[in-house]
Amino acid sequence: MTTETQEPQRRELARPPFYRDVRVIRIVGQALAVLVVIGIVYWLVNNLLSNMDRLGISTSFDFLFGPTNTAIPYHGSFDPRSPVWQMVLIGVKNTFLAAFFGIILATIMGVVVGVSRLSENWLVARLATFYVELFRNIPPLVIIIFFGAAVFTAGPFPIFSESWEFNFPATDNNLLIVNNDRWGIPGFTQTSNLLLFYVVIAIGVIGAIWVWRRRTKNFERTGQPHHRVVWSLGVLLLALIVAYFAAGQPLEISWPVISGNRRRIDGGFIINWGWMSVTIALGLYTASHLGEIIRGSILAVHRGQSEAGNALALSAFQRYRFVILPQATRIALPPTINQYLNLVKNTSLGTAVGFAEITALTKTSVGNGRPAFQSFIIVMGVYLVFSLTISLVLNVVNRRLELETR
Amino acid sequence: MTVVAPAPPRETSLDWVKRNLFRNWWSGLITVILLPLSLYLGYRALRFFFVTGQWDAVRVNLTLFMQGTFPRDEQWRLISQIVIFALAFGIGLGTNSAASHDRADDAGLEIENGSIAGTLARMWSLVAFIALLLFFATTDDVGDFINPFLVVGGAIVAAAIGYQARRLPRRFRNVGWVLTMTFLVIGFQVVSGFDAGGWVPLSIVYGSVAFGAVPVERFDSTWVRLLLRLVALAVVVFAIRAIYAAVDSPGIGWDVWSGLHLTLMVSAIAIVLAFPLGLLLALARRSTLPALRVMATVYIEVIRGVPLITLLFMGQFILGFLLPAGTVLSAVSRAIAVMTLFSAAYMAEIVRGGLQALPRGQTEAGQAMGMAPPTIMRRIILPQALTAVIPAMVGQFIALFKDSSLLSIIAILEFLGVRKIIHAQADFRSIGFAETLVFVAIGYWAFAFAMSRESQRLERRLRVTR
Repeated sequence: MTTETQEPQRRELARPPFYRDVRVIRIVGQALAVLVVIGIVYWLVNNLLSNMDRLGISTSFDFLFGPTNTAIPYHGSFDPRSPVWQMVLIGVKNTFLAAFFGIILATIMGVVVGVSRLSENWLVARLATFYVELFRNIPPLVIIIFFGAAVFTAGPFPIFSESWEFNFPATDNNLLIVNNDRWGIPGFTQTSNLLLFYVVIAIGVIGAIWVWRRRTKNFERTGQPHHRVVWSLGVLLLALIVAYFAAGQPLEISWPVISGNRRRIDGGFIINWGWMSVTIALGLYTASHLGEIIRGSILAVHRGQSEAGNALALSAFQRYRFVILPQATRIALPPTINQYLNLVKNTSLGTAVGFAEITALTKTSVGNGRPAFQSFIIVMGVYLVFSLTISLVLNVVNRRLELETR
Repeated sequence: MTVVAPAPPRETSLDWVKRNLFRNWWSGLITVILLPLSLYLGYRALRFFFVTGQWDAVRVNLTLFMQGTFPRDEQWRLISQIVIFALAFGIGLGTNSAASHDRADDAGLEIENGSIAGTLARMWSLVAFIALLLFFATTDDVGDFINPFLVVGGAIVAAAIGYQARRLPRRFRNVGWVLTMTFLVIGFQVVSGFDAGGWVPLSIVYGSVAFGAVPVERFDSTWVRLLLRLVALAVVVFAIRAIYAAVDSPGIGWDVWSGLHLTLMVSAIAIVLAFPLGLLLALARRSTLPALRVMATVYIEVIRGVPLITLLFMGQFILGFLLPAGTVLSAVSRAIAVMTLFSAAYMAEIVRGGLQALPRGQTEAGQAMGMAPPTIMRRIILPQALTAVIPAMVGQFIALFKDSSLLSIIAILEFLGVRKIIHAQADFRSIGFAETLVFVAIGYWAFAFAMSRESQRLERRLRVTR
């Protein structure tokens, strides 16, 4: 019986014609798309090669080993005869420095602004709102140029020959030299035995991490306060001291001094105004975005969490530190990654204030007849590496922070 | 016996100060430090604005800031553009308001009418900026041949006339939208000219209207319906082409646009062109076809991974090489091409976010109704996803508007770049650097702030309706 009734249903479904078969359509569609894209790319590359050939422009990367032939502003020790790849490295280093300090500044300012916007103090909340609305609606380039032109080169600071000098208390050493062109702070000079020094420090870092983990485990097992920050920093400091003396005092503090003709700052660590404008401007600009992110994430933590902390008689600070901020961090991290990436990319605007970062240097070098295509491919590669590294690192952190759900 | 709770004591201003400024010792300490500091900084800022600032560099060059090197005797084009755009915005606003009233009526809800004062209050930054411009204009000693007050007044009148579109009966609602588009295109072409390829935008608008509006219901065959629609499309397109060929009046191409005009136009053009590209990229990235997905992902990630300025340099130095020998593109065209390709990648991510946020049930409901995948996409997914991401798109437009300042680095004279000509003048070679920069910052700020306010409002309203 049953087989009889099911018999008609078992018949073969008619195959659709091939032009309506999903499998065929999928393959044909993809093949077509790939063909179109390859065709376009081939056409573009073909044009590029034939045009470059017609104008006699080389397509190789040999220019990297030719001499630079230009001085780099604020890099007096750079020999213009050294190859182009060294110039590229200096650009990468400067981009990194601006991005690194910019991110630190942006993070500090962003947290301050974000928390301030939720403050019970009317004045603090108002000022923070003003800050956010002011900075995030002005193009970063305008802010950078403002710092470069209106603050540092033509602003409140003395012109070069009459720099302000701030002495280290009770000595003749300059702690800070300020003028509109560059600032000098104490730096280090290396003498010898550096390898040993770094090896001992590396051991110290590993030791600090190990102690951190030990203290955490100890805390988890016994519930004793871990004080892991103090412990790790102590280990690190100890390693530094040991390294310093073991390597025979390889570093010396070098104090900044204004040169005899009052045209240079000798010694110390020199911060030029381009670097300063880019760092401060991008730090402040990004902080306005970070502030909004942090405010949003604090608000996104459920009210009950704060009330629960209250019920446990935690102080306001403890509630923030142990209940709200850890949860807010988890929410804030992905958009924060995005802002950091934007900051890294925005350092390229240093071009406008003559900061010797990779884009500005490449622009000059292309202006001096280096092949544009290869040069900018390198620059884009550098930024891609920066971007991908940051995403990668913070994605790992993100995964560690993620709530473990079942 | 009823017990009446005592009314809470009225808060005096002293109570307010105590609660908001001196709630506890650290709050008081912060107030004591910050209050004098902010008062002093505010005093310095006001002093700069009203006393020490040398605003001559801005005042004298106001026209330069607005239109840059745009030919002065063609200024009537810009003025007509402002008025026509105002008309288009008025029609758009009126139609939008009427449409939301329609929806409210359908749902049996009462919605309050927005007031003009309310709109102006929301847009206060723009209003203040225009007032600042008018103030500078009255003291401008260059002498324009058209009174700026007349331009602003004309724009207001045009917007008010356009706003009357909300009185159109409901079945003409779409006419309001089509009129908006038409006037936007015409306003653009008043400057760029009614020649060459100018027929394309209006053909797209009216062609798609014709394609959809042909009465084809009485025919059963799909092929006949499609044929009829195509015929209507072709007729409209040819008609518009013929009109443009008859008019054929050249205008001023965007190669010579500059100043604030160029800034606004470049960001608008780039965002309009980037939208279809970004939509395609987002669909490709969400596609189940691996080849499409990989290519779209690579494009999006590479573009998003590098700064716009390197892409602009690429555009200036390389784009000419990528095209066949002999093709000449102006600097502005290359910049617009680059900004379009750049924002398409960001647009794609925004649209993708909207697509991902949509519950799967929507697709499945479409499948259960036996719809074909393209129909599900067109009728169910995209309308909802695109509506949900409108605020994000406004945000992207603001970002692009701010990014357009980078054009000054590649020697295009947009709002920020105009400063270069100004400070090349003998009078302002070394003075007014900060003043012109602050003026430019105020300009950018006014537009970006107004738009971000508007997008926040949109976001709230969209959240409520869902």
